[in-house]
Amino acid sequence: MGKSISTRGVCAWYGAQLTLKGIDMSIDANQVTAIIGPSGCGKSTFIRCLNRLHETVSGARVEGSIRVGDVDIREIDPVDVRRMVGMVFQKPNPFPTLSIYDNVALGLRLGGIRAKSELAQRVEHSLRLAALWDEVKDRLYAPATALSGGQQQRLCIARALAVEPDVLLMDEPASALDPVSTHRIEELVEALKGTFTVVIVTHNMQQAARIADKTAFFLNGELVEFGETTQVFTTPSDKRTEDYITGRFG
Amino acid sequence: MAAGIAASSPVVFLAGIVTIVVIQAIPSIRFSGWHFLTSLTWNIGNVYGGLEHEHGVTAASGASFGSRVFIVGTVASSVIALLMAVPVSLLTAVILAYRTRGVVRTILSTLVELLAGIPSVVIGLWGMTVLTPWISTQLGPLLSRAGGVIPYLRGPVGTGMGLLASGCVLAIMVVPIITATTRDLLLQVPTLYREGGVGLGMTDWEVVRHICFPCIREGFIGAVALGFGRAMGETMAVLMVSGNAVNLLPQNLYSPISTMAAFIADQLDSALTDASKMAVHALSELALLLMILTVATNLAARLLVSSGRWRQRRTGVDAP
Repeated sequence: MGKSISTRGVCAWYGAQLTLKGIDMSIDANQVTAIIGPSGCGKSTFIRCLNRLHETVSGARVEGSIRVGDVDIREIDPVDVRRMVGMVFQKPNPFPTLSIYDNVALGLRLGGIRAKSELAQRVEHSLRLAALWDEVKDRLYAPATALSGGQQQRLCIARALAVEPDVLLMDEPASALDPVSTHRIEELVEALKGTFTVVIVTHNMQQAARIADKTAFFLNGELVEFGETTQVFTTPSDKRTEDYITGRFG
Repeated sequence: MAAGIAASSPVVFLAGIVTIVVIQAIPSIRFSGWHFLTSLTWNIGNVYGGLEHEHGVTAASGASFGSRVFIVGTVASSVIALLMAVPVSLLTAVILAYRTRGVVRTILSTLVELLAGIPSVVIGLWGMTVLTPWISTQLGPLLSRAGGVIPYLRGPVGTGMGLLASGCVLAIMVVPIITATTRDLLLQVPTLYREGGVGLGMTDWEVVRHICFPCIREGFIGAVALGFGRAMGETMAVLMVSGNAVNLLPQNLYSPISTMAAFIADQLDSALTDASKMAVHALSELALLLMILTVATNLAARLLVSSGRWRQRRTGVDAP
């Protein structure tokens, strides 16, 4: 089951540049939360703080408190954080030298699962969760790079789900995909609701409106508005949100 | 016109060198035949005595040319060098590529490349004055005792000049080559792949082991082959620490050896005293053999390194 996330005063820097200016946000467990905003508003930086990936970049720095469930993730080993908080990236990035099966199995093996039958079972389960099983069950040992872009992205989702994270972060997961693949990813996110806490960054407002329970609007490194998706899109309380969703900028 | 000449000059030089070596080697090939590859004995004969004629060529009486000792010495010392250099280079490359940043990376990379710039005679001098006494009095006796049942570790250590010392100086000379090539390959692995592993909760070591290294495997083998080619062709440093064995195969890790390159340098002077010129022809054949070995190794290495790069392009993700 998913866990809730709460952040207090999260600031993030790239070198001397402040990209997040004190984000306070409470993300509900087992819901889909969308983060929207124009390019460079800090939305990707924010979710990269949630699994401590931001700090792996040269010169990057984070301050503030981030709790997943009742754990302050900044006080535990980042490797443990990332096992708890999975991530899907903007471009599909399956491990290029591994087969479809091994892409999913690798995380499990490193997590200590050795028995072949259990591995096979969990790989199948993850591929089914990611709605990819029927398309790949006859070629599990083909290279992952032989899949289409959309399939590769679903493989990356399966890979992230296999290690049973509490939270799944998705950084514009459909932005490099065609409309049909995008639709399949959206269906998938809908299906994950209730089991995982999903935080999805998107530049596509229709997508946010379609799949998210709650939506946050970021602008210039600040959280401008955060509420029920229908409320944010129909009766935004902030003028800047209204301007953005009605297409006046961004 | 001038550009054409300039551009073709490397090809002309290469062709010229190959032609001269081949022409010089032909009388020896006719004189020795396959014997040249199999025999252990290298004897330029009695250069003050009579001449003998065989297969239509002339040599000093009693002359016999076999290169097996030098082939074994070359390959064995190079393999020992790689056994030491490969782990060191791989670890250094990983640290340079992923664990250091900015100024520190630049300084460390420069230091590694400077190591490649040390004249081999200087490394040879270090080998003679520091390394071989140390092998003779410390490392050799220790390994010899610890070796126990491992055949090549046991036996007399002698002066310290020999196979192990040659391997050590060669290792120092190939580490920068393998390290720099591997570091460049590692830096080409797209950040997106590495973040895929990091985001999955892999440790830095697991990311290198399961993601980065498989991506560069062919290229890395190529880098090792590049080092192997360099080690086989190295002359001066090896000549100074190898013990210059002739007509004798190494019996253990400390036995004196000769490599093909070092032997040519060592013997050319006395070969020139042979009025029949066969000794020089034989050295030329040895040079031809060495050239074939190193050129083939380098060619294979380059193909592997570039196929490693090609593979990354094919996967369709831009390098950072």
